[in-house]
Amino acid sequence: MNQTLEDSLFQRKQTAFLLSPDKAFAEMLKGLWSPDVMEFKVFEHGGGAIEHLFNEPPDLLVVDNRLSDISGREVANLVKSENVYRQLPVVMCVDPIDVETPWNWNQIEVDDFLVRPFNPSEVRDRINLTLCRAMRALDANPLSKLPGNTSIIQRIQSLIDAREDFALAYCDLDYFKSYNDKYGFSRGDEILMMSARLIVNTIRSYPGVPSFVGHVGGDDFVFILPPDKVEDACRRIIKAFDDIVPHFYDPEDRKRGNITSVDREGNTRVFPLMAVSIAVVINEEGRIRHYGEVSSIAMGLKKKAKENPKSSYVIDQRKG
Amino acid sequence: MEPDLKTSVKGEILAVKDLPTLPHVLDEVTSLIENPETSSEAIAKVISTDQVLSAKVLKMVNSPIYGFPGRISSIQHALVLLGFNVIRGIIISTSVFDMMVQAMKGLWEHSLGCATACNIIARRAGFEDPEEYAVAGLLHDLGKVVTAVQLPELHQRISETVQAKELTYFQAEKDVLGFGHDRINAWLARHWGLPPNIREAMARHHAPQLAEFYKPMSCVVHLGDFLVRLFEFGNAGDDQTSYLRPEALMELGFKMSDLDKVMDEMADQLLEVSDVTF
Repeated sequence: MNQTLEDSLFQRKQTAFLLSPDKAFAEMLKGLWSPDVMEFKVFEHGGGAIEHLFNEPPDLLVVDNRLSDISGREVANLVKSENVYRQLPVVMCVDPIDVETPWNWNQIEVDDFLVRPFNPSEVRDRINLTLCRAMRALDANPLSKLPGNTSIIQRIQSLIDAREDFALAYCDLDYFKSYNDKYGFSRGDEILMMSARLIVNTIRSYPGVPSFVGHVGGDDFVFILPPDKVEDACRRIIKAFDDIVPHFYDPEDRKRGNITSVDREGNTRVFPLMAVSIAVVINEEGRIRHYGEVSSIAMGLKKKAKENPKSSYVIDQRKG
Repeated sequence: MEPDLKTSVKGEILAVKDLPTLPHVLDEVTSLIENPETSSEAIAKVISTDQVLSAKVLKMVNSPIYGFPGRISSIQHALVLLGFNVIRGIIISTSVFDMMVQAMKGLWEHSLGCATACNIIARRAGFEDPEEYAVAGLLHDLGKVVTAVQLPELHQRISETVQAKELTYFQAEKDVLGFGHDRINAWLARHWGLPPNIREAMARHHAPQLAEFYKPMSCVVHLGDFLVRLFEFGNAGDDQTSYLRPEALMELGFKMSDLDKVMDEMADQLLEVSDVTF
């Protein structure tokens, strides 16, 4: 109850909407978290809440099936039917009688439900779990299941804030598009899965050091390692990638060492086998203040790494 | 023979849950995995000496879960893509069947010898990735291991038939089951999603001339199996010499002098292999 945000499970204060005529329940919920950790806005009727919901979406929506003007299912479905709000976790509150016959959870796409009578500590932890689960799911790349941009930015910014030395590497694949165009997206996805596994396992093989791997999207990945490990990791990733990637080509193309595909202008062109380019930004002695600096330095380096059609890495050598 | 023996055997074969591996290989991999300084090359090298562990690793990396089924035919690549945690899991779930160790040991040496021979032959023939040919050689008798584990009574009858009728193990399988381990290999390889080149070599090593897509690999394993028997290295379940298909030598462009050179190299390397592992 007197928990501070730092001790909580969340990065920032959470706001939650409760749509329920049950005043006792509202009081109970408000008492479960300190207002610095989770703030509840309570609406006794569904109708008025919807517009608020769409204008300022909260981090969590708790909907009571006892709402008189609109059914809880309807509210849940309104939220879940729009991709903008789809990721918002929704918890449904029901009475035992409501669930006597099974619900079609494919049609009522809520994330969890609570049954009366409520047990406060169970309610607290079910809601905490729902929020944590939603955060994990929200930012995982659907293909590789690696953390996505939100987690990447958060990780980098927290390292910057802690003034810890780190190396951030951006990896992307050269000639991925032409591979995708020639062999189709499902084989393109195989390449991305392979690359993700390869990077994760290389980075994990440094025991006892803080590390991180994320998937920016498409054929872009990032990893974080201590500065003294990063060059070795780049070499190992390149070596493994160059060894493995030929096996994903048809035998004739692999033998020839190139593929014929159509470029963006519609011309038939010959492309080399895929390679990996890695741009590494090193932050030492706190010279970088903001995440944006990291990515802009990296984008400049990436161009340099890409000039080489073979797999290569470039490390930012500037000192603070 | 009952008409549905093939169906019932196939069902039992594919239901195999656990396969035996040799204790010292398991111990070696376990201690390598526990050491954080170990490279994946070192682990791959040890795993590549055991047909059961190798098959398990390839089965896993080629399963649809990882998203690139049927693509990986090298143990080294498989380790890079699976990671040590998964390897640790495979090791934990691999058992040592004490009663089988003796029988396994002969077959294990035969398989390892065949892998060594296939590597030498593939390099001599100028093929890329000789390691993959070695994997195919290592796995070429996997069907025999699975039969022994899954169908011990039939395995017993096959072994008795080898003795009583002085047949090769392959002929005795046909006598008892109506089909050989080449067929069993094909079922396993397909069921486990192994890459098509390994699958075909496993299924066609007794009849490489019938290979459809990867004839060279099937021919290499055929020749490797023949040569390792000639050396009397290990035991494949009988002590006969197998028939060498002349088509295999033609496919590889081998003359008798090439065979001599392969055998010289084998003599050196088999000595090394037996030094390291027995």
